[in-house]
Amino acid sequence: MEDEFGVPTAPIVTARFADYVLRDGRTRGMNLRWTFPPYPVGWVSRETLHGYVQGNDPISGAPIMEEIVAALTQPLTDTEKNSKITRPPRRPRLLGEETESNLHRFFLENAWTDGLPIILPTEERVAEMLTGTDHDPQEVVGMMTVTTHEEMLEYTVERVAVNAVMAGARPEHLPVILAIASSQHPSIPSSTGSYGSMVVVNGPVRHEIGMNSGGGAMGPFNYANSVIGRAWTLMSINFGDARLGDTFMATIGNGSSFTNQCCAENEERSDWEPFHVRNGFAPGESTVSLFRGWNVLTLGVGGAKNILGRMKELQFTGAFTFVLDPLVAAGLKKDEGYDNPRQLSEWLAKELNSPRVKPENINFVVVGGETNPIWETTDYVYYKTVSVDKWIPKDGIRRDERPLRMPTGVTCADDSCGIN
Amino acid sequence: MTDSKLSVLDPRGQPAGVYGRRGEAGAHMMAIFDPDVQPIIKLDKIDSLKMAPRLDSLEDKTVYLVDTGFAGGYDFLEEVQDWFAGNMPAVKTVLHKKEGNAFSDSPDLWVEIGKKGDAVVFGVGG
Repeated sequence: MEDEFGVPTAPIVTARFADYVLRDGRTRGMNLRWTFPPYPVGWVSRETLHGYVQGNDPISGAPIMEEIVAALTQPLTDTEKNSKITRPPRRPRLLGEETESNLHRFFLENAWTDGLPIILPTEERVAEMLTGTDHDPQEVVGMMTVTTHEEMLEYTVERVAVNAVMAGARPEHLPVILAIASSQHPSIPSSTGSYGSMVVVNGPVRHEIGMNSGGGAMGPFNYANSVIGRAWTLMSINFGDARLGDTFMATIGNGSSFTNQCCAENEERSDWEPFHVRNGFAPGESTVSLFRGWNVLTLGVGGAKNILGRMKELQFTGAFTFVLDPLVAAGLKKDEGYDNPRQLSEWLAKELNSPRVKPENINFVVVGGETNPIWETTDYVYYKTVSVDKWIPKDGIRRDERPLRMPTGVTCADDSCGIN
Repeated sequence: MTDSKLSVLDPRGQPAGVYGRRGEAGAHMMAIFDPDVQPIIKLDKIDSLKMAPRLDSLEDKTVYLVDTGFAGGYDFLEEVQDWFAGNMPAVKTVLHKKEGNAFSDSPDLWVEIGKKGDAVVFGVGG
């Protein structure tokens, strides 16, 4: 309105977001005349709001309404007429030499980690990580932000490798991590509602790097699942510029953000086509699929009617992603006739009869160890599927001579369990 | 840990000269964080943005009060409207709820305000 229409504005945002929007003004060179009422404004009584409007701005101390009127009527200052954009400095490639303990402290105190111990990204370790792809280390992979209010940050293959090292990954994991990076999606976008994310890997790479798609796949029992999922959040912090209270405003935070429910789909035990194939990829192609939302309900049992019941309880975003144990998919096919999940999505959307819920926004992935026919409900939006293959070296995944693998659980490969 | 010194690489991204901006009109609430559809604006475009000249006074002027879609915003702006009615009755206020969600554009409303309004109060972000 200010620039295009020449209309003066008086924007109001709660005092909790004062720093956030003032910084937004500096990064965009337009320092709007904000008014900051107390917070919260949502879900409080009308009397409270009346008091806010009649009262003072807790940041400036001035009466709220006087401030609004002044914002629209006091002449612009020279600074306002000639405001400058404040840009973050370009980053060096190397940090100065320091002792190991000081560097760990430095990374933590600069909030470049998730709070857990990291592997320091020495030149030697990063060089080794880069053997996991043929791509030029200085190739730009993409840009990312956790908020719409800051300048996006661009990152190269090498900087992805740095974060992969920090996460504890090995070169065999780098193609999957690069694929996630190429999506440009942060795992932790800034929302007061505290997003959670999920990444599901499909295709041959799952086995080549030892991912878990079976029992406890979303839990802390698999090296590849854990470090790939962790690398996504480290990249979101360092490329998405997530800074608590500055750019990242989640009021509670989300426990799944440490490793983002990273898992592989159990294609072998699923009665349905793999998720990536249903979304246009070849069965032999390796992919990552990204999901995001707020709510996760782990324990769901029963067939399509029970799924419908759960959906009726949870219609916040209009999107659903269900994680089904293979036994659930098998039962839905054998007992209820759903030969593919699309049929189920269409039935659920029809039965739910909500203008906000469309079949294409009801998704299913099959993960689990066939311990029991249990499904997990999320209100996660499916965003996209990205190919891993372009990041795999022409000679194949670069595995260690003796790859690191955690023990796997009991599987049903002998058909001793399951619905046949 | 050893006392010998190490050289490590910087893990941060580089400024790209690209910024996010509000979503397109009618965009799904979740689209604002989807890099595939999120509108962007480049440095050279925002470099020239200027604030509008201010009004001499609000007397006999039309001030739009635009609820941007965050919880409580409409009720808050009703209180603002009541304040104007009681304290500056010569100001005409028009209370408006922006279409779509808090993150999406509302170009028709901006045109309307450009034609009919003298000033606008946006709220309440949070």
